[in-house]
This record gives sequence, C-alpha cells and structure tokens, in this order.
Amino acid sequence: MLKPTTLAMILAGGRVDELNVLTYYRPKSAVPFGGVGRVIDFSLSNLMNSGIEQVAILSQYRSYSLINHIGNGAAWDMIGRYRHISVLPPFIGSEATDWYRGPADAIYKNLDYIQYYSPEEILILSGDHIYKMDYQEMIAYHTEKNADVTVAFTRVPLAEASRFGVGALDEEDGDRGGRVVDYWEKPAKAQSEWASMTILCFKPEVLFYALAENQKGDSYHFGKDIIPMLLKQKYRIYGYKFSGYWGYTRTIDEYWQSNMDLLGPSPKVDLEKWVFRTNLDHRNIRDNEPVVMGNNAVVHNSLVYNGCKIGGTVRNSILFPGVHVRKGAVVENSILFFSNIVGENCRLNKVVADVNNSFGMNAVVGPEVCGPGTGVTVIGWNNVIPDNTVIGEGATIYPRLAGTIWPAQVKKGEVLR
Amino acid sequence: MKRAKEALVLILAGGVGSRLNILVQKRAKPAVPFGGIYRIIDFSLSNVMNSGLKKVGVLTQYKPLSLMSHLGMGEAWDFTGRSRGVSILPPRTGERESDWYRGTADAVRRNFDFLRANPAEEVVILSGDHIYHMDFDAMIGFHRAKKADMTVAMMVVPKNQMYQFGAGIVDKHDRIIGWEEKPKEPKTNLASMGIYVFDYNYLIDTLSRDREENDFGIDILPRALAEDDVFAYPFYGYWRDVGTIPAYWEANMDVLKKDSGISPQKWQIRTNIEADGRPADRAPARFVEGCHLQHCMVSAGSVIKGTVINSLLSPGVVVEEGAVVKDSIIFQDCIIEKGATVDLAILDKRVVVGEKAVIGFGQNYTIANRLKPSHLYTGITLIGKGANVPAEQRIGRNCVIDSGIAEEHYPGKTVDDGESLLNDEES
Repeated sequence: MLKPTTLAMILAGGRVDELNVLTYYRPKSAVPFGGVGRVIDFSLSNLMNSGIEQVAILSQYRSYSLINHIGNGAAWDMIGRYRHISVLPPFIGSEATDWYRGPADAIYKNLDYIQYYSPEEILILSGDHIYKMDYQEMIAYHTEKNADVTVAFTRVPLAEASRFGVGALDEEDGDRGGRVVDYWEKPAKAQSEWASMTILCFKPEVLFYALAENQKGDSYHFGKDIIPMLLKQKYRIYGYKFSGYWGYTRTIDEYWQSNMDLLGPSPKVDLEKWVFRTNLDHRNIRDNEPVVMGNNAVVHNSLVYNGCKIGGTVRNSILFPGVHVRKGAVVENSILFFSNIVGENCRLNKVVADVNNSFGMNAVVGPEVCGPGTGVTVIGWNNVIPDNTVIGEGATIYPRLAGTIWPAQVKKGEVLR
Repeated sequence: MKRAKEALVLILAGGVGSRLNILVQKRAKPAVPFGGIYRIIDFSLSNVMNSGLKKVGVLTQYKPLSLMSHLGMGEAWDFTGRSRGVSILPPRTGERESDWYRGTADAVRRNFDFLRANPAEEVVILSGDHIYHMDFDAMIGFHRAKKADMTVAMMVVPKNQMYQFGAGIVDKHDRIIGWEEKPKEPKTNLASMGIYVFDYNYLIDTLSRDREENDFGIDILPRALAEDDVFAYPFYGYWRDVGTIPAYWEANMDVLKKDSGISPQKWQIRTNIEADGRPADRAPARFVEGCHLQHCMVSAGSVIKGTVINSLLSPGVVVEEGAVVKDSIIFQDCIIEKGATVDLAILDKRVVVGEKAVIGFGQNYTIANRLKPSHLYTGITLIGKGANVPAEQRIGRNCVIDSGIAEEHYPGKTVDDGESLLNDEES
C-alpha cells in the first residue's frame, strides 16, 4: 500500500463576527450550509475528491459543534490505515501555555504532529469557503515549479480586492499560474485582481523555518506575516490560478448570497455534481423520512431535505431537515436551519433562521417585497416567536430569548437581545 | 453493561414472496423498498432495536445479497458493540441435512448452533416481511407473566381474510385452546402475525422431538397447545403482510395518509442509507420553478420539474417538465422524461420513462394480467429494474415490463392492458 505524501491542515478555529448570531455558538466552519451540510464540508469533500486523506483540523472557538460534525471522519471516507481526520485543539504542555494566538501559531504548536507524518507537502487551507477544487492540480503545479510555497488565487473585482490578500503574479504559465512577485494583505488600494483563497501548499522545511522565524514576532498570520517575509527573503512563491466558483461568506449578506447560488435553473453550486459529502450522523439527519408535501403545498425554486413537512408555500428558499411549513404560511428567499417550525399563516421573507426556532401563527418576519438591497433578518437559535409578532427587515434576534422579552413588533434593523 | 441473559431474536427473512412479481426477481421480499427510503425488513429490525433487544440472527435463503448488503454490520439499528450483534444465517449443509430450509421450524432447528452459542431466557421469532410497529419487550413481559412455553402475537382481522393466516381460538385467560392453519371456513377472526416468543429451553426441546415437524403454524402449534402452555398476545394497531402487489401499494399509500395508523418517522424506523447506491450521498431535493406537488413524499436527491400527486418517490428521482406522476411508487434513480405520464404504477430502480410515454394508459382497470391474474388485477402496472420505456410508448393497466427491457424489445407503440413484456429466459 502506498503511503500518502500530502498532509492537509484545515484552519477552522476562527469566530467571524460578521456572521452575526450564527457564530454565537459555533465556529464559522460549522455553520450550516446548503440544506444539509456545514461550511467545512466543502473543504473536506474537496480533500476526499482529491484523494488527500490525512487531515488535521485546527479548532479553538466553540469547537464542540465542529468535533461532533467531524465524528470519526467516515463520512468523507477518512477512516482507515492511512486515512484519518484528527481534530487538534489548543493544549498546554511544558512549552505551550496558551491558546492559539493565530493560524501560524496554531500550526507551529502542532509541529510534532506534522513531523510524525513526515509529509512531502503540507496543504494548509481555510475551512470557511464554498468552492470545488482539485487540490492535486495545485500540488502538481507546486511540484513542477519546485516552489517553496504555492498559493491559490482567484480573480475578484478590483474594487473588492482590498478585503483579501492580494498577489501580483508574473505571466510565467499564463492561465495556470505564475511566480508571486508581490503580495499585500488587505491593502487599502489593491493593485491586482488576484485574491488569495487562503489555500497554501508548503515544502515542509520551508514551513518549519517560516513558523520558527514567525515566533519571534507578535503576529501569527500566513497572509499578513509569513508570505511577505518569505517573499522578502527571495523564496520561490508561486500562485496557482483558480477559475471556478468561490463563495466567500464573511458577511451575512454574502452568506445569504452563496446559499442562493444553490438555486435557479443552472445553479453555480451544484452539490450533487460537486460530490458533496456531509456527516449524516450529526443531528441524526439520516433518520429523516422523505419530504412530506401536503395537499396545498407549493414549492418553487427551492432545496428541501428529508424530514421537512410542507403545508404552505416555499419559494427561493433552502430548508434543512425537520423544517415544518404549516398551512397558509409563505417562506420566501429564506434559509431555515434544522427543525424550524413555521406556524400557520406566517410570512417569512429574506430570513436566515438558526436551528430549533418556532414561529407562532401569523408572525411576519422581513419585508413584504424583497429587492437587491433588502437586509437579511437573522434569528438566533432556540427562540419561540409568539403568535402575531412582526419582525422588521434586517433585524437580529439573539439566541434563546426568554418568552417575556418579546415585543409585539421588532423594528427594522433592531437587535433584540 | 447488563449481564442478565436477554431474549435472542431470530428474523425469518428467507421468503420468496413470489406474489410481489418482478419486485422480488432480484431480491428477497424483506429487501423490497418501502415508503420511499426504507425496506420492508427495516420495520422488524427497528422494532427489535426499539424494544431494547440486542442480539439478532437473520435467517436468509432466497436471493440474500441485497438483504445482506442492506444489513451491513447492523450499525443502522445500533447492533454493533460488545454485547450486540446481527448475524446472517444462511442455510448450510450439516452432517445429516443437505437441503434448503423446509419451513419456519426447520429453519430455526437448523440453527441450533447459533442458539446454543447465544444462551438466552427467551427466543423471539419473527418474520422480516411485515409492516408494523410493536414492542417485543411488552410481549416478553406478557410471556413471562403467563409463565408460557410459547406465546403467539395475534390480532383481529376481517373473517374473509382469515384464509391467509393461522387462526387461534383463545379462552378468557388468552390461552390458545384451538388452532386452524389457513382455514377456508374460519371459526374465529383472531389471526397469527407469525411472531412468537419461546422459552429458550422449551424451543430447543420441542424442535428436537420430531425432525419432520417443519412449520410452526402447521406442525408445532397444534401439538404444543394440546400439551404445553401456549398463549395469545393480543396486538392492536397497524400491521400488514405486504405480500401482494395491491397490499404493497395500499400500505405505501397509507404512509402518505395522515390518519392511516402507519408512520415510519414516529415509529422511529431506521434504515441503512449507506448500502446500495448510497442514498446517503444525496443533496436536498430540488423543486424547480413551475413544479406542482400534491399529497406526496419526495426523497433527497430528487429533482422535480413536473407534477407529482399522491405518490412516493425514493432518492434521486427526476421528474422533468410536463411529466405527471400520479398514484405511483417510484424507486430510486428513475427518470420520468418531459411530458411523460406515470399513473398507478410501481417503477423499480433506474427505470427511464421516455418523453411523452404513458404508463397506465386508458381506464380499463379490470383486465387482470394475463400471465399472473392473481398478482395484478387492480390496475397497477409494474416496471422492472433498469427497464426503458421508449418515448411515446403506451403501456396499459395491469401490465408487467420486465427488468432491463430496452426499446428494441417492444413489439409496437402500445402494450395492451394485462399484457407482459418479459425477458427471454423467463417467458
């Protein structure tokens, strides 16, 4: 049996404040996505489909949901003699006494783990993005170029590029990639359209050197610290150009949009074609019966998973397992996580509702009509919304609010906590 | 971990179920899909799991591969672990026997080695063929309270149905005092469900007495109730032997109905979604703009662009624009192409219905299938696994299209009511 040569490390620890109350109890990588899975499933499915089956996940913030989701790794076929997923939480030891101080510090603290597997390349990636990529093509480019580091880049509009790490690539290999001649992390004014996807392939000795050097400073980021340092020291850094869909879900609006990209006549994100896998043991997804459509069900342009019961109308929406939409209710442009109950004659428009919410009869959430600029209304988990409540566009409802707190009306943009 | 000896379960899953026609051409009856994502045996297995019983032997014989792959290691029903387990028990040659199982009692007798290896207080014997929800723990409690040697689960059925069942006459203490197997003129409406609880030692003793007694209902019961303590455990609730196509269709339709008494979800029926085409790996069902749905169940991985009314769809079914599926049961990965109609039919896996084809053509429901009039007589048409129905083909009522039938096998654009299109080796 051939021993694998690549070790993948997924950075999945970060809490991203922009995702509002959805990341109140879980890291962003564990946020539900696409009617059945979680954000990190895209990275894991990519690894599985690329045949990279030695995987470590670095996790720090509220990692229970993530650890539970990963299980033993069987969902991604990562259980076997040379196939595994390890979750690496922060730890204390004779030399380590702290939380992970940043992604580069997290990897540094687990150098012994990496050395144990003595990989030929180390693939470091973020678990926060929606995309399908064959990492083997990137690794092949990395090997062919004898690069010290290869970074995946995707083209974004220049106006938006300043939110990302931005690379200047030479024309060495045209559409395939080129040498990185300059790099700016979140520049005020971007000079290039090529944004880093935070997917990095390292030669082990270069990674070990860079991490050790990085420890001398007080900032521990790959984009901000390590890439600029290596570039300065004339290491061979290559950019691999990726041209497929890349869903960047840092804000709630982007998250909503990436979900909507699953819909339409020719969806940009096609889970079936992408060979998307998730852990069906998590929340017992596997035990759900098929979707039950009542006599008056109307469902248009929507994804609905097993375990849902539809008695009302659903349009342009994504329903996770166990969502019930009762008679007369209308759900539009919304994403309802596991086990939401939408009561009779409710109206939901452009709502993202976390798990286990119950909307009382006649509740109205979001605007009557939804346009391009309409704000997303976000409902935190485990709320019981009283009958007849009106929640305005763009409002935020904190998780698990006491029943006594609820006003008859939550105003547009209001935060109820 | 509990040390007490607990009841051992034997599930008889070897039956051919030949009246299910081409649905059992390549699989045993317990492995026939049911209710969109389940198989018939899931009901027995889940009842065992939900009753807290942990050791199960599954006796197979007829076309067991599909069943074996479905059982896997048994983790779907929580049968993996130190004190748990599910064992497949195929017929095997011994010193004296070299034959197939000759009946239910014979099948159990031939697995004495399994019984001896798993000592227990009681042995629960049940069939893997039925759709029901039952707490065997309560039945074992009843059995113990009565100090019974053997307890038979029984329920009231209409008298005109009694010819299919073992019929028991009981006294006011639920002791069985009379027995008739499949009576033409029944004296009672109390029917055996084919579920037995035996005292472990009694079972071994009674089966060891006469090796020519092959069947529990025909041979063992009449003798036992004369000599030993045999009781009837009354069952009230939904129970179906889905051994015929009309009964199978009805029970599936019952899953759709709110008040029919059957609810796999509420009953906590579990299935193995890893096996066979991995229905596990499916995206949510996609409902496209303009689709029309009414009173139906749709599984993950399906894409609905047309109309689905009063039907059950397994994972991965595609219903294209203008296609109509009505009163039908569609197994996984079937494709109903544009403008096609499927009315009152059962489609086995991977059937492709071409554009504008009609399955269930015309209103003549009463012309029974010419070759198997006892199988198909209510209007239901069967399409076998992987069969193709060419574009604009018309298939009538009570028809059978065999598995794998392709366009070139059709004699013309119409298959008349009651006709069959079979593979050469079987016709």
